[in-house]
Order: sequence, then C-alpha cells, then structure tokens
Amino acid sequence: MEKNFIFAGFGGQGVLLAGTILANSFMLQGKNVTWYPCYGAEMRGGTVNCEIVVSDTEVSSVHKQDTDFALVLNQQSFDKFVKRVKAGGTIIANSTLVTESKPRTDIKYIFAPMGDIANSLGSAKVTNMVSLGVLADTCDLVSKEYLAKAVELVLGEKKKQFLPLNLKALEAGCGALV
Amino acid sequence: MQTVFSVPKVMKKDFKFTFCPGCDHGVAMRLVAEIIDELDLKEKTICSSAIGCSVFIYDFLNIDCIEAPHGRACASATGVKRANPDKFVFTYQGDGDFASIGWAESMHTALRGEKVSAICINNTTYGMTGGQHGPTTLMGQVTTTSPFGRNKEYYGYPIKMAEHIALCDGTAFSARVALDSIPHINQAKQALKKAFEVQLQGLGFGFVEILSSCPTNWHMTPKQAHDRVRDEMIPVFPLGIFKDVTAE
Amino acid sequence: MISDKKVLIKGNYAIAQAAINAGCQCYFGYPITPQTEIGEYLSAKMPELGRGYVCAESELGAINMVVGASATGVKAMTSSSSCAIALMQEALSYAYSDELPAVVVNVMRAGPGLGYVYPAQGDYNQAVYGGGNGDYKIIVLAPSTVQECIDYTYRAFYLAQKYRNPVMLLADGLLGQMMEPACFGEYPYPEVDVSSWALKGAKGRDGKAIYSCARDEQEHIRKIERLFAKFELIAENETSYEEDLTKDADIVLTAFGSMTRNIKAATRALREKGIKAGWFRPITLSPFPTKRIYELAKEGKDFVVVEMNMGQMFKDVKYAINGEAHVDLINRPCGEWLSVEEIVSSVEKIMGGKYANCI
Repeated sequence: MEKNFIFAGFGGQGVLLAGTILANSFMLQGKNVTWYPCYGAEMRGGTVNCEIVVSDTEVSSVHKQDTDFALVLNQQSFDKFVKRVKAGGTIIANSTLVTESKPRTDIKYIFAPMGDIANSLGSAKVTNMVSLGVLADTCDLVSKEYLAKAVELVLGEKKKQFLPLNLKALEAGCGALV
Repeated sequence: MQTVFSVPKVMKKDFKFTFCPGCDHGVAMRLVAEIIDELDLKEKTICSSAIGCSVFIYDFLNIDCIEAPHGRACASATGVKRANPDKFVFTYQGDGDFASIGWAESMHTALRGEKVSAICINNTTYGMTGGQHGPTTLMGQVTTTSPFGRNKEYYGYPIKMAEHIALCDGTAFSARVALDSIPHINQAKQALKKAFEVQLQGLGFGFVEILSSCPTNWHMTPKQAHDRVRDEMIPVFPLGIFKDVTAE
Repeated sequence: MISDKKVLIKGNYAIAQAAINAGCQCYFGYPITPQTEIGEYLSAKMPELGRGYVCAESELGAINMVVGASATGVKAMTSSSSCAIALMQEALSYAYSDELPAVVVNVMRAGPGLGYVYPAQGDYNQAVYGGGNGDYKIIVLAPSTVQECIDYTYRAFYLAQKYRNPVMLLADGLLGQMMEPACFGEYPYPEVDVSSWALKGAKGRDGKAIYSCARDEQEHIRKIERLFAKFELIAENETSYEEDLTKDADIVLTAFGSMTRNIKAATRALREKGIKAGWFRPITLSPFPTKRIYELAKEGKDFVVVEMNMGQMFKDVKYAINGEAHVDLINRPCGEWLSVEEIVSSVEKIMGGKYANCI
C-alpha cells in the first residue's frame, strides 16, 4: 500500500505545517513516510504546497505527478491540483474560499467550510487543523488519534499554549461532514 | 662587548633570504620576527601566508604556517582563529593578494572585527610575476601591463588600503608605514607591535600597510628604489595611524 | 540531538545536526537555495555550543575559512549548492594537495550557470572529477535518504580525518528539502589523532608549514604519486555500494543519490511484469565501484543508468563495463524526478529494442 497527499493553499494558511503534522502522524503509526515542499522562488508567488507519501514498504518516489488525495484551502490551489488527482482519487476543498464545482467526473469531491469553522472557534489560523480533521474523516489511512499526538509533538513545549485551540479545531474538522 | 643586534630567535637557524637585493621583504619579516620574540608568541602563532613573494615567509620563520590560496589569507586566518581563539594569528600578504584578488576577504575580515592581524606589503606592482600593473600602481607608473604608464582612462586609481580598512568598525588598528629609512623602520616596528597587541587584547582587526621597495621590477638600484618610496610613494600613500582604538 | 528515537526531519537539518554530533567545530557558509537551512540551523546551534560559525562574505571566503580551520586539525565544514560549489573548486584542489580534512556539502540545484533551484544531479562530474586544477581526487558520498544524510555526514567527517583528504557529501534539492523519519544515534566513529600534522603553534618543536606545492620538481612528482597511492588505499578500503536482485538479473538499473529510491521501486515493478531486473547504486561516487560493475557486466547483465543530468555517471558505468555489456541511459537534465512509471516504460522499451535486435 502506498498513497500520496498534496496539501496546497495561500502562504500563511499553514499547509506546510498541516502536511508536517500528517507526516508525523504516519511516522508515529510506524509507517514509512516522506514530506516534500515546493521551495525557493516557487514559494514567492503566494501559493504553497507540499506532498506526503505514506507506504507500508520503502516510499517508491518522493515527488509524483499525480495524487490520491488533494487537500486545497484556496481557489488557486483547487484549480491547479484538481487536474492532478488520480482517477478515483479525492479532492478535499475549503468551501469558505473555494467555489463548489466538479470539473471532472472521475474523482470524489469533499467540500467543507473549513475557514468558517475555524473563524467560529476564534481564529482563521486554525483552518489547517480543521482541514486535517476533515481529511481524517474522509480517509481511513489517517488516524484522528495519531493526528492529535502529532499536533502535540510538532507544537512542542515552546508553543504548548496553542495546543488546546489546535486540538479543538482538529476535533471540529472531524465533525464537519456529519 | 655589547650586543646591539642579533638575529631574532624565531628565524630559522639556517635561513638565507632569497629576496632580490634591496627588497624590503627581508626587513619586514625581520621586524615581524623581532616582535614575535619580544611578545613571546612563537609557540602560539599560526601564520596564514599568501601567494606572491610573501609566500616565502614559511621558509624563514620557524612558526606554524598555512599557505592560503591567492587572495584568501584573511579568510584562512579567520578559519584558523575561529577554530583556535587562543592562538595568535596573522597574515603576511602582498598588495595584489590583499587589495586586489582578496579585497573582499580582507574588507570583510576587518568588518567582522576578526581578532587577527594582517600585514600587507605595498610595492606598487606584482613582484613575483615580474612587475605587472596592480591595485597600488602609481599614476604614470610604467609596468609590463601598463607600458604607457598608468592613466585613469584605462586603469583607474591606486587603492588606499590603510584608510579603507580604518573605516571598518571592526578594525582596532590601521596604519601605513614605510621601510625607506631607519626612523621609518623604527615606526614600522611600533605599528606592527600595536597591530599584534590589539589582537592579543581581543580588540579587533589589526592592520599595517608597509610601503616597500621592489628594485628588480622597478628597474632601479636599491638606493634609487628607496628614494622612490620616499619621493613618489609617500606623497600618494601618506604615512600614519588611521585608526587606533586604544588611543581613543 | 543524540537519540535512538526517530524524528521527522528535513535533509538539510539532518546534515546540520549530524555535523554537530560528529564534532564539527567550525561551520562557514553563504546562503544559496536549496541548502540554506544548513547555515540557518548552525547559526543558532554553533554559538550555543561555543563552536565557530561565520556567515561568510562569499563561498570563496567560506571554503578558505575551512582551509584555515582544518589546517589546525579541527573538524570544519561548509555547505553550498552547484554554481557556488563551482566557486570553491580552487580551494578544494589546495585542500587535497595540503591534505586537509575539509568537509563540503553540495545540495545540488540545476545547472549550468545559475541553473535555478530545481533539484538536479548535474554536479556529478564537478564532484567526482573536480573543477579545480591538477591531478586531485576527493572522496564523494551520495546519500539517498534523510537517514543516509545523517549516516554519511558522520562518515564524511571520519574519512576526511582518517585519510586527510577532502570529502564531499553530494546531496540534492529533493533530499535537502524533504522530510523523512530518521534517527541520529551517536557519532559511530573513533576520533582520529591529528597531533602529528595539525598546526597548533610551534610549542616545543619547530614550525610546520602546510603548503600545496613543492618547489622541487622531483619532490612534487613524489608528492603527487604518494597522494594517488593514498587514494588507491581509500578505494580499496572505502569503496561502497548497494545492490539487490542482481543475482539472476538480465538488466541492472543504476542510479546515485535520491534517484536510488525510484530505481528500487522501478525494479520491483519490472519484476512484477516478469522482467528480471535488479538495482545497483554506488554510495561512494569517488572512489567509484568500477570493479563490481565490471563483475556484473561480465556475468552478462546489461545496465541502464537513471540520472537527473545529461549522462554524467553513465560515462563511468560505461567505462566500468568496458564493452562487456550494453549500457543505456534514462535521464532528464533537472526538475521533476524521473517517475517510477517513466523508468519502467523506458526500460521496457530498451529491453524490447534489444530483443528486436536479437531477432
């Protein structure tokens, strides 16, 4: 089994951090995982993305042309990455900023108002955590419990004060599709 | 009988200077050696030597020495010092090395306030390669690559090293001296000593520019060459201390 | 960070922390994507540890600071990328001739010229054959995973001191920027006694000079011959590679660095299709595992080299095979890594073509 995920959004929406948390959750589950970001001048254009590959065996390739899952937090990223989802794959979009449209018929669409949910919790900054919650609900591979552990690991001692809000956002994301 | 002069202890026992007759490298190296003796530095000294005639310092002084690539003596000295803050580290360079190919390294070593001392021999030419136009060549001076004399249209102007280095905040001491007369040689020694001391006191970068003769490439006798230092070089490159944080 | 616990870490940070664990006393560097995190990380850690750190004025400055520091026997390192590694070549030639244990990390971007920041493997020749002057050889280690970034950084410091020879860790932008779980453990090598040659001031002895050229012609010839004999010893002791499924293979996929992962996966995919493929990856690019490749070629195995350049390692593989087998190239100059699917379909084409020729 090997699956890959692309996380994309505006700079500042925390997609690299969300990707890092997902990758850590896979590591904590004992899986092989890689995380690879766009970098350099590519980062200066406003949108950023990273790719996570998880595998039971050694990861076959860090950077792939297509993806099983795309998690997109803004319209630009939706437009760019909807084309790169594998047939039968899933795109998960933040409908607060992404117009609900279905340009392809061979993939699954999940729309959730991640930004609105985050705002209702008091900070748009936790949109990324809400999105991870939505992903956990959508994808069996992703474990809510391990995501929570990964959030704690990544925030560490230095940013411990942000842990309750982030966990709350993760929780809220998990319930968003019910 | 009273001893009025002896060979510095740190000179190699069997050394024989291989410099051209009338060249001031030998005098400059002797002064460096005397100060190493006087300050008892031999056992903690590491020299970062340069490329050009100055490279020969490790043939004559019985000290540890790393030969830096051309122009990089100050960078190499930085590496030595950062790895060994308790050692005494100095460079011994020519003007081509320090002020032309290595100017970036020299300036930044001063700007960082590295606790090293740099000595630069200014003889207005590239000596080892046979007397080409360099950063310090005087206006009108004929060299093998300025056959019609240095003019501003083709070559621009000579660099004033000691003044530039004095402008760097990391510089603790910067002076220009000459070796054309006994009083000037005595002043040169005082300046070199000061440039060493500011390092030992941890005050910053110490720099001495030494106006020197190059009779071979100037096509002069030793006497004529030293007259030229006095009559042509000193008016363009004035002697003096341009920065001394211990005097401020 | 010395722990047996796995951490998710970027290749660049892994190299930087491994350098600290290896006892690197001085780091000198200048920023360039995609390796800047190495300098950033060390700028915070080295002062805390009381070790040397200089944000150098240029790569020329940085590598020559390494020359100075390593001449005093301490472990010193610089890191950079491609076009800026090009600036360091003169000093690498000096460091070889001076027998200095300098460690240089190259996290490759594209080339030639500025070459932009895409990952690539175009500095194989620069690393292995050197851009500096004269007959010289440095040791080149090519990690393929973040774990190997750690392991080979340790090895780089050890080999540099053991043999008094510059060592380059040749990584790439993909490896530098990606994260992967890895474990630091402890620096696994013994400390090398450098007291016989390191410049520490002439205390109770005569002064020593470290210089690159002997002015006597015969002496210089003897020196170069001695250094080449030393490198033969390095080749004998330290040449390393990894291979799998080569025993019954008809075709051996060969790659270095982070492309290794892709050829492993392509080999598995080819096997599933009934094609007897195996894989081989040099770990030391210099010294190169010429002998082992020749042995495999003698057994009748064909080779295909997969690399992100215009065929640089390809030439060394071809040289090693020495006409005993076919060798093909699957490549792209830079950018998106050759995918497993691309490699598989190219190998199928090569195999099909070969059998077509047989008919």
